[in-house]
Amino acid sequence: MASPSAEIRRPRKRTDTFPYKMILPAVIMISAINIWPVIAGVYQSMMDYNLLRANNIKFNGVQNFVQALKDPDLISALLVSVKWTVGAVGFCYLVGLFAALLLNEQFKGRAIYRTLLLLPWVAPPVVVSITWRWILTDMDGLLNHILKSMHLIKEPLLWLSDPTLAMWSVIMVAVWRGFPFYMVTILAAMGNIPDDVYEAARIDGGNRWQIFRHITFPLILPVSVISTLLQCIWTFNDFGLIYVLTGGGPAGKTTTLSIYAYRQAFQYLHVGYGSAIAVLALLLMSLLGILYLRLQKKYEVTD
Amino acid sequence: MTNKLSQLMLNLLRHVVLIGMSLFALLPFYWMVVTSIKPREEQMMGPTLIPKHITFEAYQHVWSETQFPAWFWNSLKVAAGSTAMALLVACLAGYAMSRYNFKGKGAFGTTLLMVQMFPLVLVGIPLVLLISKVGVMDKPFGLVLVYMTFALPFAIWMMKGFFDGIPRSLEEAATIDGCSRMQAFRLIVLPLSGPGLTSVAVFTFLLAWNEFFIAYLFLKTKLTLPIGLLTFIAQFFNQWDSLMAASTLTTIPVLVFYMVLQRQLTRGITAGAVKG
Repeated sequence: MASPSAEIRRPRKRTDTFPYKMILPAVIMISAINIWPVIAGVYQSMMDYNLLRANNIKFNGVQNFVQALKDPDLISALLVSVKWTVGAVGFCYLVGLFAALLLNEQFKGRAIYRTLLLLPWVAPPVVVSITWRWILTDMDGLLNHILKSMHLIKEPLLWLSDPTLAMWSVIMVAVWRGFPFYMVTILAAMGNIPDDVYEAARIDGGNRWQIFRHITFPLILPVSVISTLLQCIWTFNDFGLIYVLTGGGPAGKTTTLSIYAYRQAFQYLHVGYGSAIAVLALLLMSLLGILYLRLQKKYEVTD
Repeated sequence: MTNKLSQLMLNLLRHVVLIGMSLFALLPFYWMVVTSIKPREEQMMGPTLIPKHITFEAYQHVWSETQFPAWFWNSLKVAAGSTAMALLVACLAGYAMSRYNFKGKGAFGTTLLMVQMFPLVLVGIPLVLLISKVGVMDKPFGLVLVYMTFALPFAIWMMKGFFDGIPRSLEEAATIDGCSRMQAFRLIVLPLSGPGLTSVAVFTFLLAWNEFFIAYLFLKTKLTLPIGLLTFIAQFFNQWDSLMAASTLTTIPVLVFYMVLQRQLTRGITAGAVKG
């Protein structure tokens, strides 16, 4: 029998620890600040956890979720969230696309327009909400004043306190703030389209609409889809803009799922129930998230 | 001739529409500033687009009779701290993502994308518990920890993309000359990464300067500007000149940043969605 030492002892290839050391700080921070709280939040959502009865916190399984599905306020908050997300993202996209098309050619003043149109996007959200609240005030508000002096309205409109108008008002503010994101993103995507593609289309006699429909739009579609998914997630989760503008009113007409979850958890101190609502929001958003990851991989492959 | 004319008309139309859109974009900023410098008596007479008299009383009031300067200082500390830490951590991780293949790299990348989708309302309470356990509740450092982490996914992807554009041969030459890998990174790659670092810095600074949900939960006394402004709404109900003066002062640093670093900022916006 050959002695074991006769075997050729191949030194096992040691894994290089250098890249792990480099990502370690990031991994620690993200685990602690991003991932752990989500796990804790999901755990909370399965507790009978009310801060008013803080010494009596106990596990109650899916009871919060059962309660949620029977809660009419939650259903209406979900509908408000969908309306808000679709309206804000949809109009942001249309206005952003329109602006990008106007800016996509070289002409005098292009850089100035671009700079000015991007300004809303950098303004601090709280400032945006406060300033718009001031503009939309019914009695001394600027918007009512302008519309009145143009004889478009006789009586001041209750922009933020009329039950049907309030949602349109917050969507308008969201579009004001959000369209520059699309404008810049779509412009960048259009910049990647080589000139000879347009040249060929023009030689073939395509008019503006045909060129947009058959060349520009298909080529900016991947970017549009990806950034729209991201925007949907961010808009759905957004809390600040509406909260400072209307506080969720009038009569819950602008109470999104985020605001409803916030109220339950932080105002009524039903931490368990509030967390359960947020978990439902997370589940809905992860559907979009999975789509986002898939599409991003797909587009990367085809690029 | 008719072709030229229609081209001219089209150009004119383009300018008209763009001017209209620019007015829409600028109007709130204009109204904010005008309200802040209009005397109270004039304010009472209803909204007028052009002020007859100008006064800086509201600014004086906000700056010398309220907590505003302290909030401003706190915000600056939080934003600067978050930016410095995010830059450091994102550089290291971005470099590893760019240059090395290691087990778990794909999972790490996907995690970075996924964490951006978590609703803040869900993580709020666990974060408050965690931060008070660390003992940095109501301290700027607590916010620094959170904001720099919130900035990391974008920052790491951004730095990775930037490092990808720097040829490896430079570091290879340096390691042959006897540099350690860390030295090659620090002495060769980092000095070439200015524009990438600037983009990340602008992004993180703005995130930290603007964020208010987490600040709202964390801070009781040492407020940052967004939270300070929220307390102003209740305190100065209907004193729009003071509110708008405070809002203007909060916006100025952001605008300065934007004017100086516009290119880096727009690159930042597009990096997430456009793969060039």
